Amino acid sequence: MNILLLLIPLSLAFLGGAVWIFFWAVNHDQFDDLDTPALVPLDDSPRREDPPS
Amino acid sequence: MRPMCCQGCRAAAEWIEQLGLGGYYELRTAPAPKPDAALTHDSWRNADSARHVIRDLGEGLRETLLLIEGVRCSACVWLIERALGAAPGVVSVQVNAVSRRARVIWQDAKTSLPLLLQALSRTGYGALPLDARGLIDLRRNESRDALKRLLVAAFGAMQAMMYAAVIYAGAAETLDAASRELMRWLGLLVATPVVLYSAQPFFAGALRALKGRRVGMDVPVALAIAAVYAASVLEAVRGTGEVYFDSVSMFVFILLAARYLEMRARHHARDLTDALARLTPPFAERELDDGSFSRVGRHELRAGDRVRVAEGGIVPADGVLLSERCRVDEALLSGESAPVTRRRDDLLIAGSVLEDGPVLVRIERVGADTALAGIAALVGRAHAERPRLQLAGELAASRFVARVLTLTALTAAAWAIVDPSRAFTAAVAVLVISCPCAFALAVPAALTRALGALARRGVLVVKPDAVQALAECTHALFDKTGTLTETTLSLADVRTFNGGSHEAALRLAATLARQSRHPVARAIAAAHPGPDSAAVSDLTTHAGMGVSATIGGRALRLGRSDFALAGKLLAREYEDAVLLADDDGPIAAFRMGERLRSDACAAIAALQSQGITVLIASGDAPAKVASIAARVNVGGWCARMLPADKLAWLTELRAGGARVLAVGDGINDAPVLAGADVAIALAEGAELTQASSDIVLEGGRLEAIASARDIAKQTLAIVRQNQRWALFYNLAAVPLAALGFIPPWLAAIGMSLSSLGVILNALRIGRSDPGPRAQQDHAAPAAAWPRPAA
Repeated sequence: MNILLLLIPLSLAFLGGAVWIFFWAVNHDQFDDLDTPALVPLDDSPRREDPPS
Repeated sequence: MRPMCCQGCRAAAEWIEQLGLGGYYELRTAPAPKPDAALTHDSWRNADSARHVIRDLGEGLRETLLLIEGVRCSACVWLIERALGAAPGVVSVQVNAVSRRARVIWQDAKTSLPLLLQALSRTGYGALPLDARGLIDLRRNESRDALKRLLVAAFGAMQAMMYAAVIYAGAAETLDAASRELMRWLGLLVATPVVLYSAQPFFAGALRALKGRRVGMDVPVALAIAAVYAASVLEAVRGTGEVYFDSVSMFVFILLAARYLEMRARHHARDLTDALARLTPPFAERELDDGSFSRVGRHELRAGDRVRVAEGGIVPADGVLLSERCRVDEALLSGESAPVTRRRDDLLIAGSVLEDGPVLVRIERVGADTALAGIAALVGRAHAERPRLQLAGELAASRFVARVLTLTALTAAAWAIVDPSRAFTAAVAVLVISCPCAFALAVPAALTRALGALARRGVLVVKPDAVQALAECTHALFDKTGTLTETTLSLADVRTFNGGSHEAALRLAATLARQSRHPVARAIAAAHPGPDSAAVSDLTTHAGMGVSATIGGRALRLGRSDFALAGKLLAREYEDAVLLADDDGPIAAFRMGERLRSDACAAIAALQSQGITVLIASGDAPAKVASIAARVNVGGWCARMLPADKLAWLTELRAGGARVLAVGDGINDAPVLAGADVAIALAEGAELTQASSDIVLEGGRLEAIASARDIAKQTLAIVRQNQRWALFYNLAAVPLAALGFIPPWLAAIGMSLSSLGVILNALRIGRSDPGPRAQQDHAAPAAAWPRPAA
């Protein structure tokens, strides 16, 4: 059962990491508009250089 | 290239093509409305006006939020992002198709707000900078917070379940005491963020409810979470009894998921309905002492100012006409479908659209004193008197909780007498198993599903409690202009003079009319598809008057009677008709009528077959209302009603015990919508109307009302089923828990199964009839004439 002492902290670390990544994504506008980005792949023309933001 | 309606559109299309933005035409699913050419953007150069709408981000960066008019589909978003993003000095552009807002960040040194607005209007979109306060977007924060809480709850519940499973499985086999202890503490570790962070909205809501001396759904939920969590923590520390960390975090997760879905549906509908700022123009042209004009903000206008209103412009405040005569479209305010003629010294109402101009107006009343503001106040009052339907649901929930708490206390007391060592465990088991999980889910799960099913049919529910009211309504009160009828005009009557043939007169008129984009001209042109008369020369459009041309050697004029007859007099009855005349006199008179919406008859018949009494209330003339009422087979109607009259009629109906469903589109309908049990506004109607409605109908499909009512009824039935099921489950499980027969793992399974049952049952709503996709509807009203931007 000693393997638990390694695996459980590991799983908790993964959990914390996943939450952190998700929070980052939410804070960086990734979930604000779920409708518009669906259209981008339909566009054939080469994409204009994104301005630095 | 496809045929264009005018040179302006051709130029715009070529410009779009040149910029390499031709993909717009491949992507768009609905034609874009025409921009309001009269709008000049230079006024935003004024530092005072701009200060309200521009936020300084520092380092030379400025941010502004634009409400973009005429975003019909996602292709528009694509075009706006590209066109605006290509403008020099623009750092970033974010357009949201659903909320019709663009957030633009630009470099102050390289560009300015007027330049950006110009770039947008060249693309074909009118934009209104929103107040800088809108930049701190409360709604965005709310949605982000909810998403984070939901995810923390999901992860926490998942992990807690895993650790709990070890304990439950270990109970049957051999699990050493140390590992068991470890799993309990791990459960505490993952459940704590769920309770302290994710469940915060429940605690906050419960606190608010208690402060307001109400017991809503939040109070029982918060109480259950707190009690079960506290009991589990106590047991974990003592290391004796059972822990329920899995149950409590799963409970939080399920409830948050229901709430999140509800919130998204609410936001989506709200996005479509808040733009009251556009009802009156933000600027007016005020005459200075030396006779010149200067642009001032609307709020700077004072009674006694003389302002100029251009053709197609909106009257900024109530005032008296100083020019000889003009025609104004007061449809938004009075419901009158035809433009009315106003003469010198007549009153013009703020918000009405000038059909011909320019005219001079002396301002009489401004701001809160205007008729428009009066209607808005009426809306506010009607809102305050609105029936509170969900109160019943909250009452039932709070009664339920009171019973559960009593039961818990009774269990603890009974066990304290029989066997004090088991009192605590049994009391917590009762609380867990009867915790209002299924009960709390019954309404949100059904409602969320119903809102989704309705949205797919083009019915956007703004206020969720409208679903119940919709199912229970007994009367339907329709507005006529723009609701039962289309907003476009159609040719109703042709009368020829001197025995000429209708066909010949119509052909001549249509030939001339095709030169103009005026709604009346388009109606005449549509009445005669062609071929046009040959040998046309000297075609000239006279703004606000009509069209003239020479056909086969005859000098013809089509338009207002005084223009067409060149000063000759005709019987007064033809004064408001459109005349076709040559130098010898009148040839034909055309009268415009309204066209019934294609599905109006079917929609009303469907409602009547459901046993609903359909009524029509209109501000229009009795003859017009009578003819429409006869065509849609409606017996009860009233004409010449002002907004206050409509509201009075509605109040009378409701006093007689009727539950009234009101359908409307214009500003004049806003008060009646606000006072109705359930209010439906058309998406193409005025913004104020949508703001005071419960349900917004996309694409003007009236037929959707009847099917929406079916779904609403089904929803209510499912809610009742769910509540009954939850009650049954509780009745069956609670006695067992109270007797101490239910171990924690069974409680957890029971809770999830009962919740699952409720959700699966809710999924049945709206399945029988899949309904047409809303997407297809966007293409349908291609022929519709865009309303004048209000």
